[in-house]
Amino acid sequence: MDIIFSLILAIFCVYCFFLVGAESPASTPTELGAAFWPRIILVLMIILLVVNIVNSLKAQKENKSSLLGEMNLGGFFKSKLFVGMILVAVMALFMSVIGFMPDCLLFLIAYGFLLGERRIPLLVIRSLAITAVLYVIFQGALDIMLARGVGPFREFALFFEMLLPF
Amino acid sequence: MFSTLFTGLKIVFTPSTFLLITAGTILGVIFGAMPGVSASMAVALALPFAYAMNPVIAIAFLVAVYCASITGGGITAILFRIPGTPSSAPTTFDGYPMAQRGEAGKALGFSLVASAVGGLIAAFAMALISPQLSAVALKFGPSELFAVSFLGLSVLSCLDSGNIVKTLISGLLGLLLACVGMDPMLGIARFTWGNSTLLSGIEMIPVMIGLFAVTEVLKQTVKQKKIDGAEESESNGKMKTVLPSFVELWETKITMLRASILGTVVGILPGAGATIASFLSYAIEKKVSKHPEKLGTGIPDGIVASEAANNAATGGSMVPLLSLGIPGGNAAAIMMTALVIKGVQIGPMLIKTQPEYLASVFGSMLLTNIVMVIVAMGVAKVFAKILAVPYSVLGPVIVMLAAIGAYALNNNTGDVVLMAGAGIIGYMFVKLGYNSAALVLGLVLGQMCESNFRRAYTLTNGSLVQIFTKPITAVIMTACVIMLLYPFVKPFIAKKKEA
Repeated sequence: MDIIFSLILAIFCVYCFFLVGAESPASTPTELGAAFWPRIILVLMIILLVVNIVNSLKAQKENKSSLLGEMNLGGFFKSKLFVGMILVAVMALFMSVIGFMPDCLLFLIAYGFLLGERRIPLLVIRSLAITAVLYVIFQGALDIMLARGVGPFREFALFFEMLLPF
Repeated sequence: MFSTLFTGLKIVFTPSTFLLITAGTILGVIFGAMPGVSASMAVALALPFAYAMNPVIAIAFLVAVYCASITGGGITAILFRIPGTPSSAPTTFDGYPMAQRGEAGKALGFSLVASAVGGLIAAFAMALISPQLSAVALKFGPSELFAVSFLGLSVLSCLDSGNIVKTLISGLLGLLLACVGMDPMLGIARFTWGNSTLLSGIEMIPVMIGLFAVTEVLKQTVKQKKIDGAEESESNGKMKTVLPSFVELWETKITMLRASILGTVVGILPGAGATIASFLSYAIEKKVSKHPEKLGTGIPDGIVASEAANNAATGGSMVPLLSLGIPGGNAAAIMMTALVIKGVQIGPMLIKTQPEYLASVFGSMLLTNIVMVIVAMGVAKVFAKILAVPYSVLGPVIVMLAAIGAYALNNNTGDVVLMAGAGIIGYMFVKLGYNSAALVLGLVLGQMCESNFRRAYTLTNGSLVQIFTKPITAVIMTACVIMLLYPFVKPFIAKKKEA
């Protein structure tokens, strides 16, 4: 797996090396161009990634393991870890659409369930209470304008903002 | 000099000022402990209260909030691996492993004492040698600042001696991420692929929060159990914040002194600040420590190095503000605004014509750094109760706090997506043996390193010789070379000794 990751990263670095050169004017004798610094970093990264690939290949030969190592891709997609990653990603992506409060509530319920809480009424009540506490602290007391969402979710958020005493 | 000390004490021990500073300290510790509320944001939130105060008391109050918020950031860094402020990120490296071993109270004790000592040393340095320190700071041009940031990067060679290649790749990846957005000299877009959101670059805070907090929750999701090993969980959150004994403190005296001096100096430098100070201090500790392999596994030296430096930087950042009228960082800039609104003439003459401002800041720092130990112990106890909560509740709450922390930076949900991405990719990154601390170090120091090197190059008309032969630069760069080569030379020296 490490070899595949290093290889993808190395190819990406080569692409970035040419991309940054094409986007920026060249350096002059008295001024370094915008591509100078990133190119130094990219060259060093490519060298080190090649070293890493060679080291990993050597280790793989010694251990007689496969390119993917002991990783079971099928098992990974069914694992709690993968579901957790999806939940975090969905929470982040949907915050701008449904707003902070529904997003937070649904995430707390879903992730709590994933972590083994099976008493649904308790989970829902707890999540509602935590959402309310976070909302009052950050939106109310600290005046951080939490995401409102769009359409009906925005109206819903505006309604709650009116209810806040401060 | 001594008149400054006495005037300062006289100002802060007036009952009303004393109460205001104590209130500022409580506010600061609470704000600092909340993820997403940075030290400068804490000062900004306290600003409306300061408008109603006399300017001398207002600056004392804001300084109290500033110093206490930096300390508060260490609480969540130790207990939950969420740095309350970016400058507390290195505290997680040793603080969190200690908390996991059931030594959260002890870790917090070291963090609070180190913060207080760092803050007090910086306060005395500010009061006694402010003009001299400013004169030294003015000698730091772009080439010297490049050397300072390079010194921080030089630690990459020994951050994880187990896999130096992967650690270097991680650090370089951090440096590359710091290049995304507008080029600091010419304003040319780099690695933005036409996306206007990327023009402002990759924000450090969401990446840091994602890498530390979200990655940790994902790890615990795999483990499927309560936060492991923490004594506090077993004792229903009844954690005791144990102040370290004198003997334990004495063992960290050199680290504490070194971190405090370094933090004060870095705090004075323009463009640097508490975050760079704490990373640099941790980096140097890793280089000079007698047992570098233990750093990162949960030892007090790591916490002391980070916390003493970031608190000392708060005092350092006040030096250019009071002696030159130049804010050393964001929080100092907000304080300057408050004073300007009050009609105070900020500039080089402030210390001479109105010495009560310096005295007030000094007095406030002195008092805050003592009061905050007591306040932070109380706040830490409240936060520690959360450790007793089942992980099915705590885990999702940590992710939501991380999301709020990322969002609050710019009121932008794009930063939440960045935070989530950093957490998910960071998990796989760490699983493959790469080093997230090295990545963050690269990201923190990247822009400072690049912009100062290019500025120095332009100022010397492209002469690398001129850049590297400046006295301060030459000394720091020599130190960097020695530090970089030492891990490679060390085995040979050991072999020679054995022979």
